[in-house]
Amino acid sequence: MVEEAKEKTSTESNTSSEEKKVAHPITQVQVTQQKPQVSAAVPPRAVVSPAPRPTPTVAAPATRPPPPQMVGRRNFVKALVTIAAVLSIVPFVPWGSFLSSSVGNAGSYKRQKVVIDAKSVYGAAAGQVVNVNDLNTFPPDSHWVITYPSSGDATLDAQNPDTFVKYELIRLPAGALGGDTKNASAFVAFSKVCVHLWCSPNYNPDPAHQQYECPCHGSIYEVPEGLAKYGPAAQQDAPTNAIPMLTLTADPNGDLNVEIPLWDVEHNGVLGYGRDYLSYRNYIKPAALGGS
Amino acid sequence: MAQKTDDSNRNLVVKLYRWLVDGLERTVYIGVQYTFPKRFVSPLGYLGVLTGIVFLVLGITGGLLMIYYQPTLTGCGSLTCAFSSVQKINDVVPYGWLLRNIHYTASNAMVLLAILHMYYQYFSGRFKIKNEVLWVTGIILGIITGVEAYTGYDLIFNQRAGLAIEIGSGLTNAPPVIGGPLRLATFGAGFTDFVLRLYSAHVFILPMVMLILVFIHFPRYMVFDIPVVSTVVGAIFIIAAFFPVPVSTQYDPTVGALTIPEWYLTGLYALLRTEFDKFVMGGLMPGLLFLMALVIPFVDTSKKLNWKDRPFFTALGITSIAQILITTAWGFYINPDASLPTLDRLLVPPDLYFGSMIGVTVLSFVLTYAFLRYLKAKERVRKAVAPTAPLLTRKWVYFLFVLLILAQVAFNGLAAAAGAAADAAKVAQTNPLPFDSLTLFDVGAVLVTFGVLIHLYRYSQNLPF
Ligand code: FES
Repeated sequence: MVEEAKEKTSTESNTSSEEKKVAHPITQVQVTQQKPQVSAAVPPRAVVSPAPRPTPTVAAPATRPPPPQMVGRRNFVKALVTIAAVLSIVPFVPWGSFLSSSVGNAGSYKRQKVVIDAKSVYGAAAGQVVNVNDLNTFPPDSHWVITYPSSGDATLDAQNPDTFVKYELIRLPAGALGGDTKNASAFVAFSKVCVHLWCSPNYNPDPAHQQYECPCHGSIYEVPEGLAKYGPAAQQDAPTNAIPMLTLTADPNGDLNVEIPLWDVEHNGVLGYGRDYLSYRNYIKPAALGGS
Repeated sequence: MAQKTDDSNRNLVVKLYRWLVDGLERTVYIGVQYTFPKRFVSPLGYLGVLTGIVFLVLGITGGLLMIYYQPTLTGCGSLTCAFSSVQKINDVVPYGWLLRNIHYTASNAMVLLAILHMYYQYFSGRFKIKNEVLWVTGIILGIITGVEAYTGYDLIFNQRAGLAIEIGSGLTNAPPVIGGPLRLATFGAGFTDFVLRLYSAHVFILPMVMLILVFIHFPRYMVFDIPVVSTVVGAIFIIAAFFPVPVSTQYDPTVGALTIPEWYLTGLYALLRTEFDKFVMGGLMPGLLFLMALVIPFVDTSKKLNWKDRPFFTALGITSIAQILITTAWGFYINPDASLPTLDRLLVPPDLYFGSMIGVTVLSFVLTYAFLRYLKAKERVRKAVAPTAPLLTRKWVYFLFVLLILAQVAFNGLAAAAGAAADAAKVAQTNPLPFDSLTLFDVGAVLVTFGVLIHLYRYSQNLPF
């Protein structure tokens, strides 16, 4: 409380240093009350209520006020010091991106061939590089899990439980959605992290479904754009109502590739957050998905 | 600090102690006056110190757990390293099970003690004796304690951690503008980063912040009551022995689990499940509660200390307790109709929820005012209490001393035997759990016995010869 009282006098009365030395009566009272009493286990300290303390006034001690130009100069110097202090903090603000960087320990984001995680359930497709021309290994209306960024070893990837590096690779159903065309547009790769509460959705190839379904609270994303059309994710405001996705392209020989993603809502989306599906539409249009 | 006294006729231990105390004169510790009470004083007055002691227990056990815990996901085969290393601590490492369970129970105890400490200070009006800075740092410490507990149980990456991840996603994704950077700062680029970040927060950043705040929050008078401290720590051991926490199964984001988070988070969980905006419910609502708690000393400025003389603030306090209980209870609520989809089962019906919150507010105020009026009506005249004769004579005290020492010896023996049996079971790959919990119970019992013994000693010092 001593400190507080001091602070009060210094902030509320803009006085010279000689004035401050003359302790204000109120300050003095509080100083005396502050003396600790060493007695019982929990000694009742002087019961000072935190009731509003009478504010010290400038006029109380009778000392000669400093000439006005002195005060002005002093205030000017104080302002300079404050500016200097702020300037010495400002350069550290961008350092916050050390914390909020999306680089992480997952690996580096490079253009990468699409390789199916080496899991036995995927049979012949396990550990294989996806080729858009191979309709036997990668038939329409099927789905696999891929890892991006990959460790380069499909077996290790398969063991990685971090769903933030997992994507559901879906070859769209044949027909209207064009899953049987032999180019990259036959495929989509949706994030395995639901934008609702981060469970892992799966593609349901059942002809009555043919959509991306989350097991936790029943969010359903349509294919191929990944916009939630049902469940809690659908109730969220745009852009948090569409699942982030990877941009896929095909090499001349048909090998499928992941293009380096842009992790913001206008492009590939923010994992576990969302994607503006309309902006993404415009983003991939010039990328000429139909082949290349 | 201790006064300088004539040391000439003191023994070496006392001299050494005095030398140390005098040496501390110029350090931070000078601000702290501590007492070893000569007789039993109610621990209500120093719940804060007890919270600090439990923090110490957490620091020690936590530091030891760090030796085996691995804060990564990949590289440990089919299970995550985070999860499998906790399994290893639990099942294989000697005394790992004990340390983990002490750490877990102590974390619960710390949250509980902190809450009790705050409410005692609030209702007794004792916070008015101290200044506002102590109260405000106390509230901040309380919040950090909660965050610390939250970061801790996420590290296991088990099913329950998954639920905490859900809450975390709801909270960090939701706020406007800062939501994105906040999410990245907390979770990084994925669960691997998430575990590492929470780990660094849990074992270093948050405890450091807490330590700094503790130095502000320290009252000038600290009561260090050995019997109570020893009993509290012993009790934590014993509770941990009786209610061990399983490692459970690894977090699996591919299944919708209907689990319930730790009791101090269910309130938040209920708020998040009311189908309203995640930020409003999970961020602003709890924020409002903390803000209310923060401004208390600036609003309740009357000179009255006793809760009976501050009807409004007493009613407010009761309301807050009632509301916390109600939200917590809602947090445990899952629609029993198993035929419904998961989301519908998890939905906390907002009309019922907010209805119950408003209802309980009105009820708390009405009841508090009615009760206080009733108290005033039958203001009793207190009779002077006649001094009672001491309960025990010296002879009995000495007899009990011997008994307690014998009990300590017995518990020690049992603990050693059970510890050896647990080790043997781990080697033989049979279930070590009964032996582990017996060991923990025995060690707890040793500590409680010590507490009782010291209390008896101090009691005997006050007896007439
Ligand atoms: S996490 Fe997918 S619906 Fe809730």
